[in-house]
Amino acid sequence: MTFWLTVGGMLAVTFGSRLAGLSLQRELPPPVMRCLHFVPVAVFAALATPALQGDRGEGEIRVLAAVATALVAWRLRSFGIALGVGMATFWLLRLLPSL
Amino acid sequence: MSGRRAFARGFVAMVPLWVGVVPFAVAYAVLARDAGLSVVEAQALSLFVFAGSAQFSAVGLIAQGASGLGIVLTTFLLNVRHMLYGLTLGRTVPLSGWRRPVTAYFLTDEAFGVVAARRERSFGFVLGVELSLFATWNAATLAGALLGSAIPDPTALGIDLIFPLAFIALLVPLVRTRDELAVAGLAGAVAWLASRWLPGGIPVLAAGICGSLLGAWLTRDRPPSAEVDLDDAAREVA
Repeated sequence: MTFWLTVGGMLAVTFGSRLAGLSLQRELPPPVMRCLHFVPVAVFAALATPALQGDRGEGEIRVLAAVATALVAWRLRSFGIALGVGMATFWLLRLLPSL
Repeated sequence: MSGRRAFARGFVAMVPLWVGVVPFAVAYAVLARDAGLSVVEAQALSLFVFAGSAQFSAVGLIAQGASGLGIVLTTFLLNVRHMLYGLTLGRTVPLSGWRRPVTAYFLTDEAFGVVAARRERSFGFVLGVELSLFATWNAATLAGALLGSAIPDPTALGIDLIFPLAFIALLVPLVRTRDELAVAGLAGAVAWLASRWLPGGIPVLAAGICGSLLGAWLTRDRPPSAEVDLDDAAREVA
């Protein structure tokens, strides 16, 4: 039940934002525009860091996998390849018994 | 009749982006199953919310035990940028009556980018672009959700690492100026520190708000960069 309420809320705020933009006939105030520009950068960074450590004592190799992902994303700008290289790095490092 | 042809042109214009969208949707669905969602629930998010990064964050937050309200507020924070796309599209594409809510329902970063990169500005074309992504996103979600069910013990494989890695892969291309780097650094640090004491959801909201306020303050003397955002969306497609 909670899940479907959450989906309803997500639908409302997402569709609301999309429709508001299409229906608004005027510009947003400059400070709001400046904030909106930085929201994805701030939120993506905030979603990444708390989950990075993990809770199974594999913090070091998880961080190394994150560095690999960031490097590939920076050089190739490909989401799929960056994610694949990151997970492959993690699984390979895991096979090494004492790093 | 020309509407149907415009729709087909739009549908085809999105095809090159399928390559990038499919792994994203599959990763989302595998993670959703790992977080405890059923196949139907994972699919429902793709059908009714249809916003990749928000769906990703929602299943990550569900896994961390965040409240429904926290998830909805994070979704709002992530998706208000769609207002900017709507503002631009609404001014350049003639949309009346039922066409406006339909266009709004299927509007995404990718669809906006494809339309921004092309000259064509009809409703049929825009709808073709949008539904091309919707169909692929949902088919790949289903494939990923079934794949997720086939993996015997996803937690032992460390599948949950996909979550932070996916956000790093989304973040890196957006960081091009010193201001953006400062915002990412502050938001990442605030969320990491706050997550040691506060339940899931609140740290992300707090860091997202702190980060965007810092960015607005750092760039207070410059005109707002809506054009840059539009360029970003268009470049992603190129």
